[in-house]
Amino acid sequence: MGSKFNKELKTLVSDKVISPELADKIEQYYATKDVGKPNKLFAIFGVFGALLIGSGIILMLAHNWDDFSRLTKTILAFVPLVLGQILVGFSILKEKSATWKEASGTFLFFAVGACIALVSQIYNIPGELDSYLLTWIILCLPLIYLLRSHAVALLVVIWSTYYAVLVGLWSYRSSEIPWLYLVFFVSIIPYYGQLLKQKINSNAVTIFNWILPGSFVIALGGFVGNHGNLGFVSYIALFGLFYNIGRLDIFKPLRTLRNGYLIIGSLGTVISLLFFTFRWIWDEFPSTFGLHMQELYVLTALLIIALIVVGYTVFKKGIRQINLFQVAFLIFSMVYFFLPGIDVLPIVLMNILVFALGMSAIKIGADKFNFGILNYGLLIISILIICRFFDTGMSFVLRGVLFVLVGVGFFVTNYVMLKKQQRIKKQLKDLQL
Amino acid sequence: MKVVHFFIGFMLLALVQVFIPSQMIWQQEDILESGTLYKFKTMPIDPNDPFRGKYITLNYEENSIKIADTSYRYGDKILIYLDKDRQGFAKVTSITKELSEAKGEYVRGEVTGNYNGVINFELPFNRFYMEESKAYDAEKAYRTVNRDSLVQNVYAEVYVKEGESVLRNVIIEGVPIQEYVKKENSN
Repeated sequence: MGSKFNKELKTLVSDKVISPELADKIEQYYATKDVGKPNKLFAIFGVFGALLIGSGIILMLAHNWDDFSRLTKTILAFVPLVLGQILVGFSILKEKSATWKEASGTFLFFAVGACIALVSQIYNIPGELDSYLLTWIILCLPLIYLLRSHAVALLVVIWSTYYAVLVGLWSYRSSEIPWLYLVFFVSIIPYYGQLLKQKINSNAVTIFNWILPGSFVIALGGFVGNHGNLGFVSYIALFGLFYNIGRLDIFKPLRTLRNGYLIIGSLGTVISLLFFTFRWIWDEFPSTFGLHMQELYVLTALLIIALIVVGYTVFKKGIRQINLFQVAFLIFSMVYFFLPGIDVLPIVLMNILVFALGMSAIKIGADKFNFGILNYGLLIISILIICRFFDTGMSFVLRGVLFVLVGVGFFVTNYVMLKKQQRIKKQLKDLQL
Repeated sequence: MKVVHFFIGFMLLALVQVFIPSQMIWQQEDILESGTLYKFKTMPIDPNDPFRGKYITLNYEENSIKIADTSYRYGDKILIYLDKDRQGFAKVTSITKELSEAKGEYVRGEVTGNYNGVINFELPFNRFYMEESKAYDAEKAYRTVNRDSLVQNVYAEVYVKEGESVLRNVIIEGVPIQEYVKKENSN
């Protein structure tokens, strides 16, 4: 137990709140409670240690020592690999703690990378970085399940994202689609699903809740390429999908900050829709339909999956439980595909949509007594108005009045809610008395 | 699932993890052992790979062939057939999309352009890993040699066997590039 806790106990004893015997008992209770529990801090340091040593080995080998013969280099390539394998084998066979498994798994991950790197250095094996990463990921993916290691799973997610970006965006040919990214992503899902079921509130799950959608947001760039608006629309569909996933029942026990899907989905939706409240973006894209089939496929797939998730929620909870954020992507897609040619109508509709999103966030915030969400809604509306400030020919007076109104809105809504909260607290207190 | 199952699973994975790099080594050694040596005239430049360190990219003189065939497009995978002159320098005799054994020894490459009846392609062995302190000097050394118009003297030694190839070394003025750089630096 922490020394702060012990100090508090002593104060409680000296202030005669509890008896010295009781203090001893409490101290003993906490002392024995934590015995046998793996030390989280130790696990984290173990993983970081392995991470640093492993990448250090890769860097040292990347020097490409001229003075060593081919044989020496070959032996050097296999030493860390075999060492890592022995460590991992040992921790599986002896059923060692999670710390052991995480650390040895992380080390082996890098040892595999070092080994194939050195072999390709020795023989000047051709191939860009992406083919090397591919071999590396495939050789380490099974470790996730064999060791049940969070660290290896995270490394695989990060490496596959790197791979997707390399193949889809940074490759100088830039025409290939990183399909294998999807394979890697799907192969991690069962592991993640199991974690969700078993320890939804753990920090590991929180990290995955952020890393997985984050990875997909980055990798989608590799699928839609650099051209055109369909990519933009795909992103809006993806954010809609994430928001809907975040609203699923399984994530309900989570605090909002632990729900990366919800936050990434919501912020992503609002930010990308804000782009479409400008006139220039609608002016730029006519007649490019059907030119990039690949993006159209990606978009269709995303829309269908997102629709399935929305449909499922409607089916489970009824249409009344659906909020505007969940269907914003759908409204946007309809406007985008059916009304693009009609002069200002889509722009007006988009402005209304973003405004409505802001209002609905304010309502959600007010219903839940959540100041964060309430002000998020107000922020959306303010940003929308600031954007209009730049591109419309509204008169200065009107703009000024709008700004004042929104400013007043900020104060009034927060004030009203604060008062309401205090009233309820008082009522509760009265009830208790 | 019992521990034993996990352990057996891991043993299998460990074998694969050892097998893949070993197989890479074996294949390369086999080519060095029994492949044919070609010399390719080249020009080194110096980029960087985050995991495998410094290397020099080799741009080969033999990177195009005169064929008026518009069916070859950018990015097509092709087979490049080789022959060598009396000094052992490689000459590209022809290219095809499907393998034709009769045309002799070949390597795999990729079309990088097709313009005016000239098809440009990329040879697969274009990376040569070097000690990090020497890679840039190697590029510099090449530029010096090139200025003295002695391009003939820079070439890559490539062993070829059944379509696979290993880049053994890069030679400048008769000595391996590492030694050449060392010599230049000590001067």
